[in-house]
Amino acid sequence: VYQVFESVAKKYDVMNDSMTLGIHRVWKDILMHKMNPSPGTLLLDVAGGTGDIAFRFINYVRSARERQLQRKLKHHQNLSWQEISESYQEDKFKSLGDSQVVVCDINKEMLKVGKQKAQHLGYSEGLSWVLGNAEELPFDDDKFDVYTIAFGIRNVTRIDLALQEAYRVLKPGGRFLCLEFSHVSNPLLSRLYDLYSFQVIPVLGEVIAGDWKSYQYLVESIRRFPPQEELKAMIEDAGFLKVDYQNLNSGIVAIHSGFKL
Amino acid sequence: VRCQLYPPQRALQASAVLRRVSDEQKEPLASSSQQQFDSQPTDHQPEKEPRGPHPSYTGQGGQESEDYESEEQLQHRILTAALEFVPQHGWTAEAIAEGAKTLGLSVAAAGMFHSDGSELILHFVSQCNTKLSELLEQEQKLVQLGKAQKKPTDQFLRDAVEARLRMLIPYIEKWPQALSILLLPHNIPSSLNLLTSMIDDIWQYAGDQSTDFNWYTRRAVLTGIYNTTELVMMQDSSPDFEETWRFLENRVADAMNMGNTANQVQSTGEAVVQGLVGAAVTVSDAETSPAVR
Repeated sequence: VYQVFESVAKKYDVMNDSMTLGIHRVWKDILMHKMNPSPGTLLLDVAGGTGDIAFRFINYVRSARERQLQRKLKHHQNLSWQEISESYQEDKFKSLGDSQVVVCDINKEMLKVGKQKAQHLGYSEGLSWVLGNAEELPFDDDKFDVYTIAFGIRNVTRIDLALQEAYRVLKPGGRFLCLEFSHVSNPLLSRLYDLYSFQVIPVLGEVIAGDWKSYQYLVESIRRFPPQEELKAMIEDAGFLKVDYQNLNSGIVAIHSGFKL
Repeated sequence: VRCQLYPPQRALQASAVLRRVSDEQKEPLASSSQQQFDSQPTDHQPEKEPRGPHPSYTGQGGQESEDYESEEQLQHRILTAALEFVPQHGWTAEAIAEGAKTLGLSVAAAGMFHSDGSELILHFVSQCNTKLSELLEQEQKLVQLGKAQKKPTDQFLRDAVEARLRMLIPYIEKWPQALSILLLPHNIPSSLNLLTSMIDDIWQYAGDQSTDFNWYTRRAVLTGIYNTTELVMMQDSSPDFEETWRFLENRVADAMNMGNTANQVQSTGEAVVQGLVGAAVTVSDAETSPAVR
């Protein structure tokens, strides 16, 4: 798995766009909307190498913060000058409102690409990049508000360990979110999807990234991955409550969500 | 099937209040909905994680106490804690997030609820209705013990509606927002349920024993009075809402007179239509001008 991603890292984003015809951006946006993070949230994005989720998180929190500040300003019409000046001093440097995202990936190359992207797009504050294994996270217990793993969990050898680690590092009340390819229930769509996956994607892989085998592996790993209900049961086994899932594009992709309560 | 859990859970709050209230009285409307809701609690059992010897809720202790209560109880606690942040953040997921924080939970716990704040509002409404029931119950006890005079019907209705509307005062600035959210299609069943059960309550304590068409007439009329008074209150800037109470007095007097005419059915229809039209106009105004106050 490591070698697959080593070779794939640089072309990762381009391949994502061409494979999913750009829809993966929509999927990630939907994930962010579902998370609905408020300023001050600490996010851990696992297997998030090139930073897609992290950047979306920062954008979302930034605009939420702006709205919050605007609301505060409206309130300020009734406060004394003293109180207003105090609050301006607090808010001045907090455009993100203390929110932070830690991007953790097992692969150095993916992290490198992610850091370059961040620099290129102008993301500087609130971001950290950590090398780590999802089955054994280098973090303390009860640290994060939200744990996300987008298109990463199918590459983990022991999914149950990754889920247990997720449970461990989340604060009480914290949320686990998993965005992953899943089982298509509609038979007609399923056949079209199979056709597309096995015929078109490896070809694209060869043409764009010069790597047929990696993308063949990708498609096969998607087929091997447990379907929605099974993954839900696994998440519950790790200790999460209020677990449910949302199918996107009738099952091509699913978002699973659970809470540590 | 699990994905469907949201609607039954929201309904569960309403049904809990319904069951508590209708336990004491037999109501033709409520009992049929009781049968629907009674099946839900059994679905809820598998949700409780069996941790520890005995599921007793021990209060603010530590993390462990959360394991001992059901998810629903925890959600109620979060929503109650969130109410104190409503004046600042409005009826939003942010208020719920702040509430969760005060309980020692992560702000992400607000993700358990709908992002438009519906559950928070429904929770608040059902809490107010419960408080009203308790108030009316106490008053009734005093009358039964001979420590207070039994009020004439119009006075009783006026006091009950005023008491219930006064509970909105701390949140009055953001209440128009709450009203418009309650009118969203996916909330209407729950909010309508809460409204009708509250009106039922008031009439029951007012001593309504009717089993004929009058039952519906009285409910419709009082619902109209309540809704229009609530809307007037949104736009009232007089000291201690005097104008609202005066409006209420007039409406109740009108209703009493209406009852004496022969055209009861027609008046019911008119009252309901007036109430709805008034509601629609004011809510659309409230939506277009969010910073009314």
